[in-house]
Amino acid sequence: MPEIYLHEIAHGRSGDKGDTSNVCVFARKPEYYPIIEREVTPEKLKAFFGDMVKGPITRYSVPSLGGFNFVMEHALGGGATMSLRLDSLGKSMGSAVMRLKIHVDEGELT
Amino acid sequence: MKKVAIGGGQGFWGDSPDAAVHMINTADIQYMACDYLAELTLSIMAKQQLKDPKKGYAPDFVTRILKDAGRTAKERNIRLITNAGGMNIQGCVDAIRDWAQGEGLKGYKIGYVTGDDIKARIPQLLKDGWTFPNLDGEGEFTEIADKIYNCNAYIGHEGIEACIDQGADTVITGRAADSALFLAPLKHELGWAADDWDSLARGIMAGHLLECGGQGAGGNYMYDWRHVPRMDELGFPIAELTADTLELTKAPDCGGVICEQSTKEQFLYEVLDPANYITPDVVVDVTGAAVRQQGENRVRIEGIRGRRRPDTLKLCVGYHKGWKTVSMLSFAWPDAYEKAQYCAEVIMKKMARIGMRADDVHISYIGLNSLHLNVADTSERAIRDLNECVLRIAVFSRDKAECAKIIPEISPLQLNGPPGASFFGGRAHVQEVMALWPTTVPRDAVKVSGRVIEV
Repeated sequence: MPEIYLHEIAHGRSGDKGDTSNVCVFARKPEYYPIIEREVTPEKLKAFFGDMVKGPITRYSVPSLGGFNFVMEHALGGGATMSLRLDSLGKSMGSAVMRLKIHVDEGELT
Repeated sequence: MKKVAIGGGQGFWGDSPDAAVHMINTADIQYMACDYLAELTLSIMAKQQLKDPKKGYAPDFVTRILKDAGRTAKERNIRLITNAGGMNIQGCVDAIRDWAQGEGLKGYKIGYVTGDDIKARIPQLLKDGWTFPNLDGEGEFTEIADKIYNCNAYIGHEGIEACIDQGADTVITGRAADSALFLAPLKHELGWAADDWDSLARGIMAGHLLECGGQGAGGNYMYDWRHVPRMDELGFPIAELTADTLELTKAPDCGGVICEQSTKEQFLYEVLDPANYITPDVVVDVTGAAVRQQGENRVRIEGIRGRRRPDTLKLCVGYHKGWKTVSMLSFAWPDAYEKAQYCAEVIMKKMARIGMRADDVHISYIGLNSLHLNVADTSERAIRDLNECVLRIAVFSRDKAECAKIIPEISPLQLNGPPGASFFGGRAHVQEVMALWPTTVPRDAVKVSGRVIEV
């Protein structure tokens, strides 16, 4: 099974509410939606980020938009001005999620 | 069928006025709303106002939007709504009145909404038994009560609509919810009932798509940023609504893009649970929403549902948390990362020797992992090929003096540390760290009113 970056089949954007990072992820083509649903689970993301995201990660599905909202709590090192991180608002959390390596079956990508 | 069009003019305090001015000059709109307030903006404004009572609002609305396009807006019957009032609504109204008088706009009507600032009422609310629980579950409100800069409720559309009803040319608010700035004129024009939750939800999502300005029209656009036309002249989005439709477009002759993907990226932005997007005006459910291309730079959004608004209002409470310093030193190939890392060790040993008591230290390497942290590529190859790398050390302490200890220790590393260290940007400053206390207040504890004065 080939391994690819999520970035190849998805796009999205990150925003913040306090220390919570909200990353929406959309399939670049409708047929990629089930791949994202299968491959990008909260458990996988939690393991991927490790102690960078300290709280739980919840996935919300919006199939009519072909996408998902990932809500990651205690993910920004305190959030806003409290965070010591360079990217205290998590503007780059969206692209960080896109770095996730996912497995696709032969023929799943068209 | 009646159609109303509203534009988004600003995405935050400090945004470019170009798109707003262009939109006022060229677009077929009846309203424009300008959002200036992010989560901590009010705390910054409150702090400014402590030093200078004339400050505490976003003067940019007057000096950059009204000055360049306010007269045209009046001539073209485009009414403006903004939360630029921040912590000093009176100051903002005065500045607008001065501007209107200077322009000779006799009869110009300025609406203003008060009631969101409830800081003075905290003691009474505490006495009444409201505990301001931390929604993230940590600490007691009484521990921060004496360190609060501001305490404002996210209020809904009512006060703004009252001003529009009274014929205001411009409406000024403080912490009205971003999307309420847009909902108020839509409700006024389309005559929605206060409990027509589906329509209110559609109006809120129109506002949601506009409130971040350029982000709704091809800015910060991951899907295909390379092909966004004329990003240097990025237009901001415009929503057009009828009794039962919502379409998104932009002004003629400007850059940017309005398509399914650009709209979707903004649609779920900061929404958290899409079935329960909570606003002061309505609880929105977008789990059945769809976006369809209707033409060039035009999409239609359908399937937005609403439910009864909540009985509590979210509060924006900003308080003093402590202090921080951020120091940086740059290093070049070869072994840029290894040198930067070794330099960090040297600095932290020195800090330990002089007994710096930091509550938190965050070390990262710009060019390698300062953004993606744990998930950045720090493979041997990535490190070996690094052309350059900037060591960044951020220190947080509740004690200002502790934070300051690291400042004089950075620049000497140019001569005393690993080779090629370069110190730039001047000496670090100790910066105040403000924090947010996420909490709510009962809706009936907040008394909102909208009034209009005539120039």
